[in-house]
Amino acid sequence: MRKLTYAGALNEALRLEMQRDPTIFVAGEDVGTYGGIFGVTNGLLAEFGPKRVVDTPITESAIIGMATGAAAAGLRPVVELMFIDFIGVSLDQLFNQAAKMKYMFGGKATLPLVLRTECGAGMSAAAQHSQCLESWFMHVPGLKVVLPSTPYDAKGLLISSIRDNNPIVFIEHKMLYGTEGEVPEGEYTIPLGKADIKRAGTDVTVVATLAMVPKALAVAEELSKEGISVEVIDPRTLTPLDEETILESVKKTHRLVIVTEEVGHAGSSAEIAARVAEKAFDYLDAGIRRVTAPFSPVPFSPALESHFIPSEAKIMDAVRAVLGAPETA
Amino acid sequence: MSEIPKETLLSIYETMVKIRVFESRVSELFAQGKLPGFIHLYIGEEAVATGVCAHLNPGDYITSTHRGHGHLIAKGGDLKLMMAELYGKRTGYCKGKGGSMHIADVDLGILGANGIVGGGPPIATGAGFALKYQGKDNVAVCFFGDGASNQGTTHEGMNMAAIWKLPVVFVCENNFYGISLSQERHQSISDIADRAAAYDMPGVVVDGNDVTAVYEAAAEAIKRARAGHGPSLIECKTYRYRGHFEGDPTVYRSKEELEAWMKKDPIPRFETNLKKMGLLDDARIMAIHKEMEDRVDEAIRFAEESPWPDPSELLEDIYTGPAVVV
Amino acid sequence: MTSIGIIANPASGKDIRRLIAHGSVFDNQEKVSIVRRVMLGLESVGVEKVIFMPDYFGIGRRAVEGIQTQLAVETLPIKMEASQEDSTLAARLMREAGVGAIVTLGGDGTNRAVAKEIGDVPLMPISTGTNNVFPQMIEGTVVGLAAGIVARRLLPLEQTTTRQLRLEVWRGEELIDIALVDVVVNVEAFIGSRAVWDMSKVREVVLTRASPSNIGLSSIGGGLYCARLDRKHGVYLRLNEGHGPLELTAPIAPGLVETMHIADYRLLPVGAQVPVQFTPSILALDGEREVVVEQEQAVVVRLTENGPLLIDLHRTLELAAQKGLMVKTELPPLAEGACLLHALGLCSDPQEDCR
Repeated sequence: MRKLTYAGALNEALRLEMQRDPTIFVAGEDVGTYGGIFGVTNGLLAEFGPKRVVDTPITESAIIGMATGAAAAGLRPVVELMFIDFIGVSLDQLFNQAAKMKYMFGGKATLPLVLRTECGAGMSAAAQHSQCLESWFMHVPGLKVVLPSTPYDAKGLLISSIRDNNPIVFIEHKMLYGTEGEVPEGEYTIPLGKADIKRAGTDVTVVATLAMVPKALAVAEELSKEGISVEVIDPRTLTPLDEETILESVKKTHRLVIVTEEVGHAGSSAEIAARVAEKAFDYLDAGIRRVTAPFSPVPFSPALESHFIPSEAKIMDAVRAVLGAPETA
Repeated sequence: MSEIPKETLLSIYETMVKIRVFESRVSELFAQGKLPGFIHLYIGEEAVATGVCAHLNPGDYITSTHRGHGHLIAKGGDLKLMMAELYGKRTGYCKGKGGSMHIADVDLGILGANGIVGGGPPIATGAGFALKYQGKDNVAVCFFGDGASNQGTTHEGMNMAAIWKLPVVFVCENNFYGISLSQERHQSISDIADRAAAYDMPGVVVDGNDVTAVYEAAAEAIKRARAGHGPSLIECKTYRYRGHFEGDPTVYRSKEELEAWMKKDPIPRFETNLKKMGLLDDARIMAIHKEMEDRVDEAIRFAEESPWPDPSELLEDIYTGPAVVV
Repeated sequence: MTSIGIIANPASGKDIRRLIAHGSVFDNQEKVSIVRRVMLGLESVGVEKVIFMPDYFGIGRRAVEGIQTQLAVETLPIKMEASQEDSTLAARLMREAGVGAIVTLGGDGTNRAVAKEIGDVPLMPISTGTNNVFPQMIEGTVVGLAAGIVARRLLPLEQTTTRQLRLEVWRGEELIDIALVDVVVNVEAFIGSRAVWDMSKVREVVLTRASPSNIGLSSIGGGLYCARLDRKHGVYLRLNEGHGPLELTAPIAPGLVETMHIADYRLLPVGAQVPVQFTPSILALDGEREVVVEQEQAVVVRLTENGPLLIDLHRTLELAAQKGLMVKTELPPLAEGACLLHALGLCSDPQEDCR
């Protein structure tokens, strides 16, 4: 099958959807002439013109608020928050306005809006351009949180998100943009709230998101050489969360490792661990392990950053630990 | 200034009285403990919402504020649904999920009161963006206060509306207080309209207690917006008779100041004009007041007889489509 | 002690004419800055005290806070109404306090309010309003110099000031209001946002001056040239709605050149009066709807010479230079009309007729 990069898959999703539905527009900082700081919106301006591909001033509150008003008035905005870290200056418009509008209005508002943003460490972009903040959005009723790890998922999930009638925070990972994978031509959707079993296994369940998915898969491959069968699950959306797939897997493997790049404290990994503890405790043969970033701002120096980001070695250790092996790290 | 049709003049008067009567009764109901939550009343500022909304049709949008009842009534909100919402009843505008600070009627173009000071300007800008995108000649009006005029969101919204020449009219209700802080303590300027120049849009000051002055300025700003010439800022100098919220002891302002403003009450001022023009007489004035009292009574009856929301409704209306179960 | 009154209107330059026309925007920070320049000019020519009208923005207070000055500063103890009555009352109190001149910052409307009570105190108006005929756009520092020289009576008033005409609105024996430039009869119902821009509502126009270079309603008269028009005459015009013997265009507001139909043109000598023919109506005075005329009410507009003594900035400073008032060096006595340079022996190329 044809291969595309993660960024290319997202770009194709935007193009196909914009061709299909004239109420969709793209707006954000440097999304037009520049083509997006990571190239995701490249070529859209040429194809759809400045009415539908809108370069905004660097005013994140107005970007999100504008999208909210435009969605309430009948459009389907796909707006870009250049770095997820910038949500700090604009959070009110997302969590007090967009997320709650439908409920506050007694159901009489429909807000089909996608906030595309990008997260993650690995480029020495330091503390204000590298965070993983997905758990912030999980905490707000009214939002959906989507986070693809492969080009295939990126395209299908973005199309689904654009067609969904709710405010969606669509989180991409900056270190995945250049990764390649098979992506079908034409449109297809992936249901929001459906996890994907990236590798089937029987001994340990590893739940991973975003850039931790390829790492978990590499670890699974490595351990398979020792006869250890690891099942790798990517939830793909955190709200809604496909609890069922995770629980079914744990009931089969009896062991769970959760891997996220977020700091662990109050992170999405904590929520997943709690759910499994609540609903599948009796199936567990070992304590749940989490592999996360430490409780620290993201450091600048590559020497520190590489230590901050969960490594394959740490994942491997965690998997061995739930299997009863002594840890090396 | 083109002539204001007589029916419009009378309807403006009736709307101002409607707001005044509604708000006065809400104040009583709150004092009687019948209304939960916080209530921010519009008494004294009726000329602003009425003078602006007299130009709007259901295809036009407004964003409102925490002091939003007047905007809703002026935009055509239903008194029964409003009152039921203030009571927290299932029959209210928002099924009892929003309350005073979040009343909305999207079908009437009311994108909600707002509990966040400065929450509305980016949203009004977005509604204006949609209208322009859709090629409509409608407008979005953003009501906000002197307090919100300092919020970054207000400036971001104005900037965006200005660079894209969106059909947005920013209407500042300068009532001289951001909660307890007087204007001279919360900003270093006296005329918020001065800020319009920073966004290359017209900014004007009008007497917000003179409904004809508000009407004229709004007519021009809205005409300009509908014609595609972009946003404007109208600053209406006005005053709230009540505290920031019901129960506010208003220790931050003097009785003399309040009394001076009450002498400039927008309703008797307009009444005098209409009497001179022969459009109103005492009997008609009494009749209008009576009618509004009756309508508010009816709204109260409706609200009190309405059922509470069922606990099962708590988890409804969070998402469009299937509920998200966590 | 020579003192000067300063009346700065914080509300000028912000009305609806920025929406209906393209009126200039005057923020209050700029007014503060102008007052500072005026004060520094005043101080340099020996004025000792400045009296301010209080205002809701605190233009005077902020101006003083921003400069180093030896000027004594007083603010009138007025209870502010934030209306034009503040300016009228301030002018009266300043006159009673014996100020040598009053400097105003505002538009035609502000000066109209001040002129009501200024009496014979010389007036130096700076335009910070919308479309002004009476005050000019002039620089604050030189205003300070000229106003200071006049206030100290360093030059005779008859050389530095000119008496202005004014229009008086009388209801029976009662003088109800005045205008410095124009009275316009509008068949409208409300004072509303005050500005006048719909010519279909304008029926009569009475002017103290009719210069074609003026902006505003007086330009209607300006567009019709009359060889006999001088400083002792005003103009009366009657307009028809949408038809009439003469179609005229005039810049009635900044950026707003409108068409109107003239039915009647008359020169008015000083002392003449014209009855308001259209009632009920609203009279706009110097561009702002102001006076309500009831049905059948008898109101007349009278042209008089009771206007303020207007300081001629250019003439004053020319004369001052000629008299050597800017020269700090001790001067020999100068004969009337004598050349300062010649007397000082500074001129390198004296001509025969120099003296």
